[in-house]
Amino acid sequence: MKLYPYLLVILLLASNTSAECRDIECMPDEYRAEFHSGSDWIFYYDSIFTIGSNWYIIFERDGGVQNPETITFSFVDGPNKKITGFDEAPKPDNSSISFSGSSFIKESFHNVFYINFTSTGDQGQEVFWSYELEIQINEDPSPANDLVYLWGGMSVFWLSIGLYVLYISNKFRELSDKIGVEDNGIRKKN
Amino acid sequence: MKYARESCGVIGFILVLVTHYIGLIQTGPAKFFTAPNAQKLFYFHVPSGLITYLAFMMVVGGSALYLYNKSDYADRLSKCSAELGLVFGFMSLASGTFWMKAEWGGDIFSRFMTDMRLATTLAMWILYIAYVVYRRQPETFAVKKNAAILGLSGMVMVPLSYLSSRFLRSHHPVIVGTEDQGSLDSSLRFGLYMGLFGFLFLYIFLFNTRMKIEEMERIHLKAKMEKI
Repeated sequence: MKLYPYLLVILLLASNTSAECRDIECMPDEYRAEFHSGSDWIFYYDSIFTIGSNWYIIFERDGGVQNPETITFSFVDGPNKKITGFDEAPKPDNSSISFSGSSFIKESFHNVFYINFTSTGDQGQEVFWSYELEIQINEDPSPANDLVYLWGGMSVFWLSIGLYVLYISNKFRELSDKIGVEDNGIRKKN
Repeated sequence: MKYARESCGVIGFILVLVTHYIGLIQTGPAKFFTAPNAQKLFYFHVPSGLITYLAFMMVVGGSALYLYNKSDYADRLSKCSAELGLVFGFMSLASGTFWMKAEWGGDIFSRFMTDMRLATTLAMWILYIAYVVYRRQPETFAVKKNAAILGLSGMVMVPLSYLSSRFLRSHHPVIVGTEDQGSLDSSLRFGLYMGLFGFLFLYIFLFNTRMKIEEMERIHLKAKMEKI
């Protein structure tokens, strides 16, 4: 009997175990920004933001030494985040930034996500490079309900075909008995 | 070919099983859908819908031919095809309702009343229920003739249902014959075609079997009449 509470705890924990992955390998999309100075920046991200799951963008510099002072990540009509202090480091390996899964509550498509590189010029902070990514805000339904509807719909096909085949085979047998017909022709009953 | 009918049934069954594998196992949950799992009904819903149109168009063709030359074969063809149209139509409507509930939510009844694709398809299906019910009586010349006239109404109902999502107010997705058809993912397209051919073979098998039964029924009836 003591096994049940443990099992319950394991199941509860298992359902909360997030499958969120923060590695480059998990990011399906990639964008490479090329600068004249030979300093390339690569952004790894998922173009689908799933509501309820944290969303990450990983970025790394590939070659060169020029760094922006600040990188700003911002969704139009959504949250934004900033990373500063790159000019002090000679070459950051990679870094990432996350947006909470609760940043959005409604599904929407073709959202613009800005990445701005800024540095201090003569007239203060200047954006010297900017890029837009297209992000889709997706809302996953409750998987349990979704699967119920899937299996409900699938059952319809097999039940319909099965019942109809049953109906015609009964009818076929009944008529065969009545008129003594075989598949290859008609014969008289004995 | 001796086992042509049975072969159609077996091929259809295998293709539908392959569609199950492609739809349910090989391809993952769909992106950009509120109900990514229920979206997999697409592999069977679309083929069953298209077969429904095919079946009802055959009723139209058979009815027209019967009115033209009183062909007994055309009459049987209409009768059997209408019955199969109801079966496949039920599959299409019911699976669509499951998908709609998962994807769109809300009140199903009001959806059927306000979305023109749903309303016209349901109306078409009910019309052919009337056709099949009407045919469940002794088959006199008048019954066959009236049934053929009723069957011809599909000439309006089938295109109306098919085109309603293109030209009338409807949320129903439109894929066939649009730009979206070309943009379908290849695995999705392959699954869809498998489902379509699977259902087509099943339809051919069921139709031939039903025609054979109808022929037997008429032989039986004729023998009975001769006895009297």
